[in-house]
Amino acid sequence: MIRPVLTARTSSVDATKELAGALAELARAGDLVVLVGELGAGKTAFTQGFGSGMGVVEQITSPTFALVQSYAGRLRLHHLDVYRLGHVNEALDLGLDELLDEGAVTLIEWGDTILRVLPQDFLEVHLLFGTEADERIVELVPIGTRWSARIRALESAVRPWCPIESQGPDESQDPDEQQGPADAGGGGGC
Amino acid sequence: MLILGIESATVQVGCAIGGHEGVLASAHSAKGKRHAESLAPSIQFICEQAGIELSEIGVVAVDIGPGLFTGLRVGVATAKAIAFALRIPMIGVSSLDLVAFPVRFSSRLIVTAIDARRGELYYSFYRQVPGGVQRLTDARLGSPDDVASELLATNEEILLVGDGAIRYSEAFEGLAKVELTDQSLAHPSAASLVQLAHATALREEFERADVIEPIYLRRPDAEINWTTRAAR
Repeated sequence: MIRPVLTARTSSVDATKELAGALAELARAGDLVVLVGELGAGKTAFTQGFGSGMGVVEQITSPTFALVQSYAGRLRLHHLDVYRLGHVNEALDLGLDELLDEGAVTLIEWGDTILRVLPQDFLEVHLLFGTEADERIVELVPIGTRWSARIRALESAVRPWCPIESQGPDESQDPDEQQGPADAGGGGGC
Repeated sequence: MLILGIESATVQVGCAIGGHEGVLASAHSAKGKRHAESLAPSIQFICEQAGIELSEIGVVAVDIGPGLFTGLRVGVATAKAIAFALRIPMIGVSSLDLVAFPVRFSSRLIVTAIDARRGELYYSFYRQVPGGVQRLTDARLGSPDDVASELLATNEEILLVGDGAIRYSEAFEGLAKVELTDQSLAHPSAASLVQLAHATALREEFERADVIEPIYLRRPDAEINWTTRAAR
């Protein structure tokens, strides 16, 4: 299965934050962003940059122990980390349905593990290790109409980080079976 | 027997005290989803207004949903805590039944719909019977369009009640045989809860505090498989 995907490349933690901040400017009330990446891939750094881009002044920390933290910005930002959850129901125990329904922007670290309780309308952000120590490949996959409609704006937002255009128009129907984009870590030069 | 009713299934939170004399005191608030902050002081207030010590309560009735997750959590936890402390039984009542109760005098088909968030409704069908209403279906979860299609398919005169029906009123406004009730009937009330629980208490249909659970209709039974997820 092939989905539209934008690929960018950052060379430092700060660059990842800046990219996230640029994306945050596109965020609208009710948006959901799902962050996918291994430990150390920069999910929390991405969130911090995203928060800055939304005008959050408060320091954003990893919510691994609090599970949900909310910040005041241009829009309210809910930051969830589901790394410690063992059961998708525990995500609902966080009040997920209400968090997603109150006009805030919700960003979920490890959100790919609870796709079956998420609305199928979000921006999936993959953070992958590059070849250099601080290099990261950032893949953006709009799922559903909300973010797909903003694909051009997404492209412009990440252009400074050398997006590599890829792939076809097919939309996924089954989030549990998703495959990564074919050229995950590869792709053209900046 | 005095009944304390606690209701928190929607943005409104409320409590009431009553018994065979009917409802003695009640308090409701619907401002800003402050269930945790307002419930305990409200219970204290209605006890004072009714001239009753909490220790005189014989049964705790609670709205067990379906409804607002964070609201139900506060209401059910508070109700259980009081029941455990006083060592008294409980009665759990569905939020959808509570919304149907005030319109029980209608001979139309009654449909209750509570906002389930994320573009969906909890809903159920009721019909008038001697002494009240009878629920015809289990509580279900569906989109406003799903509900509208079902209403249309009945080809009956329908009274549609509840905060979910109001939130998604545009889905129902085109249906000729459907009348939507207004905001005053949109939320389950603690007074209805006490009245309904009183009838249940007379039949001695009590439940233990440790078995009372909120109704969740959106609960996929799935472990998160951390070992296989990183299949990229």
